[in-house]
Amino acid sequence: MIFKNSRDRFGLIAITLHWAMAILLIGLVCVGLYMVRLPISLDKLKLYGWHKEYGILALMLVMLRLGWRLGNVNPKLTTLTWWERFAARSVHWLFYLFMIALPLSGWFITSAAGLPVSFFGLFVLPNLVAPNESERMFFEWVHEWLGYGLIFIFCCHVGAALKHHFINKDDILRRML
Amino acid sequence: MRISLLRGLVGCGVLCFSALVWAAAPTWQVVPAESKITFTATQNGSPLTGEFKSFTGDIQFDPADLTSSHVKIAVDIASVSTSYKEVADTLKTPDWFDVKLFPQAVFEASHFTKVADNQYQADGSLKIRDKTVPVVLTFSLDKWTPQAALAKGSTTLKRTAFGVGKGDWAKTDAVKDDVKVDFILSAKK
Repeated sequence: MIFKNSRDRFGLIAITLHWAMAILLIGLVCVGLYMVRLPISLDKLKLYGWHKEYGILALMLVMLRLGWRLGNVNPKLTTLTWWERFAARSVHWLFYLFMIALPLSGWFITSAAGLPVSFFGLFVLPNLVAPNESERMFFEWVHEWLGYGLIFIFCCHVGAALKHHFINKDDILRRML
Repeated sequence: MRISLLRGLVGCGVLCFSALVWAAAPTWQVVPAESKITFTATQNGSPLTGEFKSFTGDIQFDPADLTSSHVKIAVDIASVSTSYKEVADTLKTPDWFDVKLFPQAVFEASHFTKVADNQYQADGSLKIRDKTVPVVLTFSLDKWTPQAALAKGSTTLKRTAFGVGKGDWAKTDAVKDDVKVDFILSAKK
C-alpha cells in the first residue's frame, strides 16, 4: 500500500482521511439533528459541546485534506462519460465547500451566542464576531441549510459510488477501499 | 444646681452622639450607570459570562476606618443577562436561581482588612437562594475622593454551595462549580 495517490487508485493518506471524515461528518450531522430538538438539559449542553469541538476537528482535518488533495494526483476517471466526470468532480468540490463552510458557520453561531468553543479542553477558540442575537439566528439558518446541502450531496455521492460498484461493476468504489 | 447637672448631661449626650456620628464611616450611594456585577462560569471548558444589571447598595466605608465600615449589596436576580438570552432564561428557572422564590441575592460584610497597598479584603456572607455562605472578596480602590469612589474587585464562588444547579445540573463536569464574580462599584456621597 502506498501513501500517495496514483493514477489508478487512492493512497493510504487519502483513504484514511476520506473514511475518518466520513464517520466524523455522519456523526456530526446525526448529533446536530438530534441535539437541536432536545429540551434544555445537561445532556443537550454536553452534546452541543461535543458537536462544537468535533466540528472544529473536522475543520482542521478538511484543511489537511485539501492540502493533500491539491498536492497529489487524483486517480483518473477515464471509464466515465464527460458528464459523469463533471458530476463526480462537482460533488467532490461541493463536499469541500460544505466541509469548510459548515464548521465555519457553526463557529460563527457560537461566537454570536457569546459561547466560545473549547477544543477538548486544550484551548478556547477566539470569537469571530461579537455576541449578537440577530446574527446568531442568521448563522443558525445558514448552518442548518448547509447541513441539508451536505446531506443532499452525501446521498448523490453514496448513490453514485454504489451504482458504480453494483450496477456498472467497475473499480470506482474499490479504489477508495 | 439641678439645671447645671441637666445641662451637663445633655452636653455629655451631645458630645457622645457627635463622637458616634464622627466615628461612623461615611455613607455612599451607588452610581448604577458606572457600576457592574459580572460573572464568569465555565461550560464545556469555555467561559460563559453574564451580568446582573440591577442591584442596590447600602455602603458605609472608609479605608481609614475599616472597623466601622459596613457594606450590604442586594442583587436583583431577575436582572441576570447573558449574550445568549436562552442562558439567562435558563438561569431564572427553579433548577438554577429560582428567581420567583428567591428574587434577591444579598452580600453583607462588616469585617474589612487591608491586605496590601490599596488591596482590601472583605469577609462577609452571601445569600443566594436560601443558602448563606461565608464569602471573602478582595478589591482595590481605584478612585477615592471625598465625593466619589470606585472599587474594583472579585471573588470566586462555588455554585453548588448555594444550590445553584439542581438535579443533573449539580454535576460539575459540563458546568464547573467555580464561578468568578467581578464587580465595579462606583459610589458618591
